Amino acid sequence: MAERWPAPFSTYRTRVPEEWLDYNGHMHDASYLVALSEANEALFDALDLGAGYYREVGASYFTVEYHIRYQAECSSGDVLTAETRVVAADPKRIRLYTELKHDDGRLAASGESLYLHVDRQSGRVAAMAPDRYRPVQEVLSAHAGLGRPRPVREDR
Amino acid sequence: MSADRVVTPLEGTGHRPWDPEAPIPAPLRLHDCTVAPEWVDYNGHMSESCFLLVFGNNADAFFRFVGIDEDYRAAGHSLYTSETHLHHRREAAEGEPLTMTLQLLDHDARRVHLYQEMLHGDSGVLLATAEQLLVHVDTAAGRSADMPADLLDRLRAVRDAHAALPRPERAGRPMGIRRPDRPRGE
Repeated sequence: MAERWPAPFSTYRTRVPEEWLDYNGHMHDASYLVALSEANEALFDALDLGAGYYREVGASYFTVEYHIRYQAECSSGDVLTAETRVVAADPKRIRLYTELKHDDGRLAASGESLYLHVDRQSGRVAAMAPDRYRPVQEVLSAHAGLGRPRPVREDR
Repeated sequence: MSADRVVTPLEGTGHRPWDPEAPIPAPLRLHDCTVAPEWVDYNGHMSESCFLLVFGNNADAFFRFVGIDEDYRAAGHSLYTSETHLHHRREAAEGEPLTMTLQLLDHDARRVHLYQEMLHGDSGVLLATAEQLLVHVDTAAGRSADMPADLLDRLRAVRDAHAALPRPERAGRPMGIRRPDRPRGE
């Protein structure tokens, strides 16, 4: 089933709207996170772990960490695409690495994110049911060959 | 985040007058706000990008505190964010009050290392933290550039005032899924 999952996962494509800009006409810090989050949300939707899962199961991925590295400015009308890799996962957690790229391939920003699977009723971290976790495992396997993302550093 | 573009609450207000004799609070508390209706998503909680929007507004208040405002940027220099590391602890709902703190961890001639906390305005419960690295740039040249002496003096004064604060537990940590039964890495 691994061939079902492209490595990296890449369906997100957007054109930078006016309302993402700041005073100087460049994309605002927080707007990079809008795009990175939407790209990750597209993967969760593909895994059937998006808004429908929330309604059906009453659980969802909750972002606990997001580390953004800003690489290039973006302006109104720029076309951005995103590539998301599943770096690590277990039934309670998933860690993603996402690259936001300009049309010409230049990296606009990268994001490392960590999500916990939270039961919304109790507000606690809960293990995902095995049948719902299986697709996550498939993507994890499909992405295993991509290696460790370049900007992920252990030192600071 | 719905407007013609992103506007900070202090936009157009200039910088704050600097009094070299005034004590500098540690940490700084320069910004409070209330979770706006347009910041919450379909389940009634503030979206993650709006957490970053509020951290950005708090950073803008800090920039104005040390003298960086519209005039400063129009003269050709600005601080650009190089990295942001967010940690989310609790959710925030529409109408809830937020109180922000800011600690200057470090700086050199061109870089500024900040740590911010977002607290619930009534209970003081920690909702989220942001650690940020900013670079001072010559905007026309598109390159990093040294900060002017008066700005560096102010940053030094803030850093000195914040030197006694404990190092935040979440600052400077790489991200990872930590497992008790294994050493670092996956």
